[in-house]
Amino acid sequence: MAEFTTAVFQNEFLPDGGTDVNAIVTISCQGAGTAGQGGSGDAGEIIIVDTSGSMGPATMAAAKDAAQAALSEIVDGTWFAVVAGADRAMLAYPLVTAGPALVQMNEQTRQEASAAIGRFVGSGGTAISTWLDLAGQIFASVPQVTQRHALLLTDGENRERPGRLDEAINRATGYYQCDCRGAGTDWQVAEIRRIAQALLGTVDIIPRPDEMRAQFQEIMRASMARGVADAKLRVWTPQGAQVLFVRQVAPTLEDLTDRGVAVNPLTRDFPTGAWADESRDYHIGVRVAAKAIGQEQLAARVQLALGDNVVTQGLVKATWSNNSELTTRIDKQVAHYTGQTELAAAIQEGLAAKAAGDEATATTKLGRAVQLAAATGNEEATSKLRKVVDVDNEAEGTVRLKRAVDKADEMALDTASTKTTRVRKG
Amino acid sequence: MTESTTATPTACPSCGVGVPAGARFCESCGAQIGPAAAPLAPPTMTPSDDLGDAPISAPTRRPVDALPDPLPDPGRRPCGNCGGEVGPDLYCLACGTKAPSERDHFREAPSSWVGGVCDKGVKKSRNEDAMALLAGEQPGSRAVLVVLDGVSNLVDSDVASLAGARAAREVLRTPLPAGMGTPQGRDAAVTKVLADAAAAAQNAIVAITDPDEPNPASATFTVAVLEGTRISHGQIGDSRAYWFPDDGPGVQLTVDDSIAQQQISEGIAKEVAETGEFAHAITKWLGRDSQDFVPSVGFLDITGPGWLLACSDGLWNYASEPAALAAQIAAARATDPVGIALELVAFANAAGGHDNITAALARVGPLPEAPAVPPPPPPVQNAPDPIAPSPAEPPTGQTQAPGEGAPTDG
Repeated sequence: MAEFTTAVFQNEFLPDGGTDVNAIVTISCQGAGTAGQGGSGDAGEIIIVDTSGSMGPATMAAAKDAAQAALSEIVDGTWFAVVAGADRAMLAYPLVTAGPALVQMNEQTRQEASAAIGRFVGSGGTAISTWLDLAGQIFASVPQVTQRHALLLTDGENRERPGRLDEAINRATGYYQCDCRGAGTDWQVAEIRRIAQALLGTVDIIPRPDEMRAQFQEIMRASMARGVADAKLRVWTPQGAQVLFVRQVAPTLEDLTDRGVAVNPLTRDFPTGAWADESRDYHIGVRVAAKAIGQEQLAARVQLALGDNVVTQGLVKATWSNNSELTTRIDKQVAHYTGQTELAAAIQEGLAAKAAGDEATATTKLGRAVQLAAATGNEEATSKLRKVVDVDNEAEGTVRLKRAVDKADEMALDTASTKTTRVRKG
Repeated sequence: MTESTTATPTACPSCGVGVPAGARFCESCGAQIGPAAAPLAPPTMTPSDDLGDAPISAPTRRPVDALPDPLPDPGRRPCGNCGGEVGPDLYCLACGTKAPSERDHFREAPSSWVGGVCDKGVKKSRNEDAMALLAGEQPGSRAVLVVLDGVSNLVDSDVASLAGARAAREVLRTPLPAGMGTPQGRDAAVTKVLADAAAAAQNAIVAITDPDEPNPASATFTVAVLEGTRISHGQIGDSRAYWFPDDGPGVQLTVDDSIAQQQISEGIAKEVAETGEFAHAITKWLGRDSQDFVPSVGFLDITGPGWLLACSDGLWNYASEPAALAAQIAAARATDPVGIALELVAFANAAGGHDNITAALARVGPLPEAPAVPPPPPPVQNAPDPIAPSPAEPPTGQTQAPGEGAPTDG
């Protein structure tokens, strides 16, 4: 049985009249077990491979090999299917036209699926909305599958009328999770990131075909380790208080603020998806009415709920004090993740400005990113930034845009922008 | 700050947070750990073959006369700020206000006619006041009010005062002795029992004090015992007992052992002395460094119904004159002792709540009638109504249920 623990990092002391409370809430899970084996329902996996005409022979061969490798990571007994995606989506395995579109993994189904993947041929366009919708229908065909995860590989830009993809994302949101990977450099980071963020998954670039196999294996292994099907971050705030934001800040940055669902007038649930043995950090901002010096009150109860069952709770407090030594301190965790959030925004805005030809803004934003990455010890961001800009002064954030930049490096910087580093606790 | 589902062997039974071995209260939620009463040192008894200064007539400890402890306070009370439900984490589920711990705010109601409230107040960080009450079921039969005020900022004064109050209560559980039957003999025997009660409180306080502690815990001691028509009271320090007859002026029964009182007896005006620099410096106290823990004892035979009050200076600081306190009791909307005590505590908190507040009351005679539902506010008038009801009028015209509307101290 999975065990959850919570730790809260904050400076609870507010000055006279202070209203805004910031806290980092770390939730850790141990003993999660294996997907689909927790007794609360079966697990389902769908592998979605781009089979559009843009997939070159090398990429297609690597994708087939990677998808087959992913099959062997799927634990026996797990329900699964394989989808080939082009300008429409096709159920490549199991070979059925009606009824349940998922089968349970065993040696025979694995070999059959592997053979089906081996027959993939690239042709046609890219209509990702149809892929997402088919995956949803496939999951729905087997009701006992309650933990739903898909792995999506694409290599090109979506070619559909504007809005269609967003509608499909909305239909899938909250129903299944999806990790997304882009092969090569002809796909749009922002587009695929939108899918991954809505579907509580990760996004990354696979610049070279030979890296695909390892990535697929890792994604599928991680998914199989998520023995806790679906957890909600439940945030209670007192009457009259306002939730300023709720963000996951580690291991990746995901703004959940607008994704809350009211449980009661004071409580909202935010989606967190399935959990493995892991630890996630959440940054919560709450505005409360100021109280008199010396008063203490609860600003938020931050809980993790499995269904209606609250498995752990952290308390975010506010205490008004006239001791400025207490009230001016900024918690180390809060400061760190505030910096990481700004870092992600600076990278994304800088790259967007660069793409739009606004070099001045790009230089300022990426300079700020270099400064923040150094200050918060985010070495991955630092090394990826240095492939896009020449750094004159790291501490000051003065940089020059590189004249010749590898597109893959730029995309890698973009996809990595939401990966955060942790500070040592304590 | 980590909250885990795993319990340790030394976990608080209330909130589950680990507590150091031997702790009496949980640092996290304030719940009491272990048995309810602190170790009770019985009053030292001299061996039977050596009468020494033993009372001529020792109390006959018939168990049938022993008064039972008040029932434990039931469950969590509603939030003092908004009336909402308080969660298991001791914060209100609606407004988030921190509920006071059981040590910071507690009530005792041993009988319908005896009850009290002991509250942290607003400004202090912990409640060093303590209270222990007893009462017979029959109204007016027998009541014991014990109030101790732990001296501020000394180590464990909060633990010491509660241990002392409960130890003194233990001594007073059985009826006071009648002595040889003469008034003098009876007074001498009662004086000895009240001294025993003070000694028991003293022993309990010393027992929890680290012998090497340079600032040992200390406390005042006020006990008032009502038996029929007689009040017996004992006093060390500056907590007080008052008697407020329904049909006459109230009286302060006890005399403070304080610098202020010394100044008053030297002719300095009471209001000046009680607000002066040393107003709260006491000249006698209980504790390891106490020079003299024999209480000043007094008696009063009462002739009619009224209220007996024992309180700490956290209350009388805001209404020292008997008339001022009597006015607060008369203005109370509640008619039961705990309800009135809550309103006295609320009054002191509203006036600033600079110190811990204890108010314990015993009613002689029938409880006053519940006030009629106040008439709706009169239409707006230009001239103020000379006989307007008390300023603290219930906002909704509903009388408040006892046990609700507790003062909050955040």
